[in-house]
Amino acid sequence: MNIDHHENFQRMIDESLAGAISAERECSLREHLDTCSPCQEYLSASNRVIAGLGGFSFEVNPTLNAKVLAGLRLRAQQVRAERAGRRRWSLISLAAAVLTMGGSFVDLQFGRLIAAAFDIQRTQVQQGLLVFWIVPSLCVLLLFPLLPLLSQAGTHREERIL
Amino acid sequence: MESDTLQIALGLRQGDVVVLEALVERYQYRLVRYLIYLLGRRDGVDDLVQETWLRVLERGGSYDGHSRFEPWLFRVARNIALDAMRKRQTLSLDSDDEDGRVRPSAASSEPSPYTLAARTEDAERLSLSLQTLEPVYREVLVLRFQEDLSLREISVVVGAPVSTVASRIYRGLATLRPQFEGETA
Repeated sequence: MNIDHHENFQRMIDESLAGAISAERECSLREHLDTCSPCQEYLSASNRVIAGLGGFSFEVNPTLNAKVLAGLRLRAQQVRAERAGRRRWSLISLAAAVLTMGGSFVDLQFGRLIAAAFDIQRTQVQQGLLVFWIVPSLCVLLLFPLLPLLSQAGTHREERIL
Repeated sequence: MESDTLQIALGLRQGDVVVLEALVERYQYRLVRYLIYLLGRRDGVDDLVQETWLRVLERGGSYDGHSRFEPWLFRVARNIALDAMRKRQTLSLDSDDEDGRVRPSAASSEPSPYTLAARTEDAERLSLSLQTLEPVYREVLVLRFQEDLSLREISVVVGAPVSTVASRIYRGLATLRPQFEGETA
């Protein structure tokens, strides 16, 4: 019974050190510790473990910081270049999407007017817009997102050959 | 504190090298210490530290700045260390000598990193037990008592429930405590 009693409080000491105890239990633990020497010894041994853990001083390789920083600067440049490349591809794709929609809009809204102005048939206007505007911009829209992937695949192939 | 972590998050999102340099200066020793506790050896730690900082640069955008930076950093380091340990195991299986014998580990005859780093009498007494203590217990002990992380923060680092983390701390302490029992401090 008495052993169980101490075990309970020693468990509470562990909880207190781990930061897992409620304020109420902490208070009851403090009261118990004032009068219980086995639990005081338990706490003292635990505190020495913790103090002992603070008694290590690991040596850091003096060149490590310089190496890390040099590696970071190099990689940061690469990351910036990759980000700029991705932004460029995104802008080109966005422009191609706008052009494709613009071509369709012109065909729908102004097809008749253009046909009347140049005295040609409406289908000829549609074909002209398709061939010279809509299809090329659609091709750019579809192909450009694939280009970075193709260029990466090419780079990897070159690396393997080298 | 929050403004400091938000500044770190902003710097990492932008890949700001100046912010990274300051972080390296501030956390390098703690990162080295954490990895030594996790791995139980000194060799290979420098490579892991380098790799960790590169990963911080590349994946820095995933740190939101609403919690402390340390748990996030240690989580990154832990993932890299575990990957390296898996690779090392695979490599040791693949790199047997031609006669089929496995090369003996060079680290086994070297003094433990804890013996070399002990600066106090209590630390010297702990060094042997620490070397034989399982890494999961060493890891939570350093995170709780050296890094002063809360149970919740440690659970984020190790990817285990808070109750598991607490149990590991209790067991770690229970393994090391007999060194000092029966003595007055």
